Amino acid sequence: MPTVDIDPDELRELTGHEEKSDEELQEDLFGLGLEFEGRTEDGAFELEFAPDRLDRLSVEGVARSMRYQYGDARGVHVPATNSAEWTIRVDESVPDERPYVTGAVIRDVDLDEESLDSLIQLQEKLHATMGRKRAKGAIGIHDLTMLRGSPATEGNPTIEYVGIDPDGDRFVPLDSDAELTPAEVLEEHDTGRTYADLVSEYERYPAIYDDIGLFSFPPVINGRRTEVSTDSRDLFVEMTGTDQWTIDKMLNIVCYALAARGATLEDVTVEYSDHELVRPDLSTKTKTVPHDRIETILGIDLDPDEVIDLAERSGLDAAKEEGDNDGELVYEFTVPPYRVDVLHPLDIIDDLGRAYGFNELEPKYPDIGTVGGRHERSRLEDATRTQLVGLGFEDLLNFHMINEAENYDRLDLDPDADVYGAGEPATIKEPYSEDFTMLRTWAMPSLLMVLERNTHRAYPQHLAEIGFTAAVDETENIGIDERRHVGAVLANHDAGYEDAKARLQALARRFDVELETPPTEHPTFISGRTAAVVMDDEVVGVIGEVHPKILVEHDLEVPVAAFEFDLAALQ
Amino acid sequence: MQLPAAQVAVLEAANADDATSVDAIAEATDLPPETVTGAVFELEDEGLVAVTERVDETITLTDEGAEYAAGDLPEIRLYEAALASGADDEPVSMGQVIGAAELDGNQVDIALSNYARKGYGQIDSGEITADPDADPDADAEANALSVLADDGDGDGESDSDGELAADEFSTEIRDQLERRGLLELAETTVREITLTDDGVTELMAGLETAETVGQVTPELLTGGEWEDVEFAEYNVEADAEQFEGGRVHILRQTADRVKDVLVGMGFQEMEGPHVDADFWINDSLFMPQDHPARTHWDRFALERPTHIDELPAELVERVERAHREGVGEDGEGYHSPWDEDFARALALRGHTTSLSTRYLSGREIGEIEPPARFFSVEKVYRNDTLDPTHLLEFFQIEGWVMAEDLSVRDLMGTFEEFYAQFGIEDIQFKPHYNPYTEPSFELFGTHPTTGELVEIGNSGIFREEMLEPLGVECDVMAWGLALERLLMLMYGFEDIRDIHGTLCDLELLRETEVTY
Repeated sequence: MPTVDIDPDELRELTGHEEKSDEELQEDLFGLGLEFEGRTEDGAFELEFAPDRLDRLSVEGVARSMRYQYGDARGVHVPATNSAEWTIRVDESVPDERPYVTGAVIRDVDLDEESLDSLIQLQEKLHATMGRKRAKGAIGIHDLTMLRGSPATEGNPTIEYVGIDPDGDRFVPLDSDAELTPAEVLEEHDTGRTYADLVSEYERYPAIYDDIGLFSFPPVINGRRTEVSTDSRDLFVEMTGTDQWTIDKMLNIVCYALAARGATLEDVTVEYSDHELVRPDLSTKTKTVPHDRIETILGIDLDPDEVIDLAERSGLDAAKEEGDNDGELVYEFTVPPYRVDVLHPLDIIDDLGRAYGFNELEPKYPDIGTVGGRHERSRLEDATRTQLVGLGFEDLLNFHMINEAENYDRLDLDPDADVYGAGEPATIKEPYSEDFTMLRTWAMPSLLMVLERNTHRAYPQHLAEIGFTAAVDETENIGIDERRHVGAVLANHDAGYEDAKARLQALARRFDVELETPPTEHPTFISGRTAAVVMDDEVVGVIGEVHPKILVEHDLEVPVAAFEFDLAALQ
Repeated sequence: MQLPAAQVAVLEAANADDATSVDAIAEATDLPPETVTGAVFELEDEGLVAVTERVDETITLTDEGAEYAAGDLPEIRLYEAALASGADDEPVSMGQVIGAAELDGNQVDIALSNYARKGYGQIDSGEITADPDADPDADAEANALSVLADDGDGDGESDSDGELAADEFSTEIRDQLERRGLLELAETTVREITLTDDGVTELMAGLETAETVGQVTPELLTGGEWEDVEFAEYNVEADAEQFEGGRVHILRQTADRVKDVLVGMGFQEMEGPHVDADFWINDSLFMPQDHPARTHWDRFALERPTHIDELPAELVERVERAHREGVGEDGEGYHSPWDEDFARALALRGHTTSLSTRYLSGREIGEIEPPARFFSVEKVYRNDTLDPTHLLEFFQIEGWVMAEDLSVRDLMGTFEEFYAQFGIEDIQFKPHYNPYTEPSFELFGTHPTTGELVEIGNSGIFREEMLEPLGVECDVMAWGLALERLLMLMYGFEDIRDIHGTLCDLELLRETEVTY
């Protein structure tokens, strides 16, 4: 789960609750769903957060939520914005893969080390979450005084979002002294290498220009010229991405954080070829929720005034209204522009429940009657397992993932061979390791691996598994035939075919299936001591003594008799 | 007096003045020590011998201890290498000294952790210094090891395996070496007997050996001889040869227990494919396609086959609409891409909620009418880091309840009932976020033995954006929990890999205590 670092002193200052001890703060934070994980080297709280309330990715947002929780703030607050002076013009050349941009101007910021760190953290956390590691949205923050905008329209200063040839221009990126082209940045600069995959396939690379030249290479890195420091007073925030809504919301979260520190927000005009936007978009939205639904989900009776109080304590506004049905009480809730998680009226009810305190609710067992029962396949599995255990087998539980060497080669099996256990493997695209590249086609390899790992343990080792197997089968909808096999091995100094056959016979008898074992050839077993398992006239498995070559391969010094067959044959 | 042969032999070998040990008698009489012990107790009961017991402590070098006794302790090797590198003058790079000392593997850690402790010098920021005044020849631990190793051919107080009585050197050094795993302490009980006056009297009066029979045979039974014979006594206290027999796997047993509890609570079992289309695993759960959990980092996508043949077209359309536009008048969708090709892509299921969506869609066993309860305890697959508490494959307990109106209180009540069956009380609910449930809760419970607060599940009420496309018009609440987590809580296992998978240890599976 993601974490965010919060300085408790800053939190006290921003909430206005200097009197709160660290322990009290931790308790209040847990109430918000922010779990205290420990402290950073600097003594800040490391808090684990669920990735819905992305407006709490910095101390400013957490402080806002706490002020609501403490009752110091109520209802929706939208900061004022001054009218636009700057324009971002989107050029036709902009890469098709990353067509969207947004922005805002922030004035009169007062950045000290802490607030600058907090801003950088917020930017990183937004990149990691909503920005999908910058693929969906990337943030660039610049010192406005270092920008010179050419007055393109009506004297407004303008910067341009364009697409350029990978080697089409040069600039000095952050943390570098050299002038590099965007393509060189991807090869030579640490940050460039980290994010190269995002743009390397593009025909044209995204770039942002002012009158002086290229100053930002989104989503990879900004230029050094406009780097923000504690001396910066006015900022230009730009965001590019693959979705306008996403970057607009990220922008709102950054604007709210800076406004909380006393900065003034100023609109920016975003000029696309066919339309124009004014950003940041700090408009609110509304959700209508019936009173009755709030009560059924929370399982309690509430007065309308209580509902409105809970809403305001969650930073929402609420107004009573009459619903579509006669006399139905509904509320229109107003949602502030920094919220990205409210998709449905249910999300409002969750807010109300949190404000009420879910742990205040009295659990009750649902008053409904239903009849329980097991699935037929799972009952068959259990019944078979009980019989196997009665026959002296130790029940095993092995992994379904395996690799080709274990599944085929070490048992001398060819995937294409027409023998039991062979079959085309269902393979995994990006396996965890070389040990787990496919699903096992039979259980025998796993059983032999367990014998191999346990040669120091006491014999006899009579092991069995009722286990999942899979092989490619184009006649199935998922393209795979998934089965359960009954696999068993008997390892002991005197284990032989007859021991295995005796147990198989007992199983067949108990399930009232007719068992025949006509001789067959199978590469895993000794020729002349191998038979097909035929149950009710169908070949369903194999039984025999494991070939010495395979025993030696598995470091075994005792004979092993074994059988494996389809569980379904016992049905 | 008539006595069994073994008792006669023991009496004859014992002495009235000097105590004789059981081992000495066994050697003298050529009887197995356990037979002698058995006979000794019988004779003690008869009052013919007196038995004294004494506990001997013996010390044995471990393989590692023997190795260091033959060579040098790793920290001494490190010190000598450090001296040779001039570390008594100025700090030398640690890597260089370790190389020179020819330490490898865990010997490096051993050397480093004991070096400073024993005053050979300091280790700081990757550099090592050596204290010129330190004297390896005065190293008490090394000296104790060599005493132990030499002892076999030394003072005769110990046998040739290097065992000797425990009081040869300070307990402090002994304990330190034991902590380092260089020696093992063992206690043995030595029994010695002397003849009592009664024993001497009986011996003088002469003893006869009673005729005994070993095995009950068919001849003995049919011929009636059994009436006249005495049966040889067994040492019924002795351990028999170890026998294993069959046994249900401990994790399977835990799964069965969970199934029993859920069936008892009115839940019906589900089943379905392990490899499934992402549509059933994620899309129909209202998981956005660009959700981090759907990237290749967490998911086992299939290389072959790659896509499901067929998805129900109308349902796909409804699910896509929910993703793009949301559900209901005030609903909003995700601002994320949606591609049917991705929905059709096959993967190993990352949760068994894929079974829930299949059942809720009415495509597995027909339309399900409320009220209903369903569950599964089946395997799921996650591309997570393999470690003592995480497996790539593990069992998920999945459950859901469908009814006209369900509240979070019903959800809490259901979990309290369920977990109470496993001795987990005082469940706490932490509000949480899941893409497909709202409200959502993480469940925390108190560990029955350690008292720790541990996460035991994840739960919530399914979102309308998930239920509406599936055609469900009432409330459904659901939860999920890793079975292995429950098992580790119940049994206190520390490494799940010992239990589940081909690395399993048969002995652990054999020895685990039965619970019910």
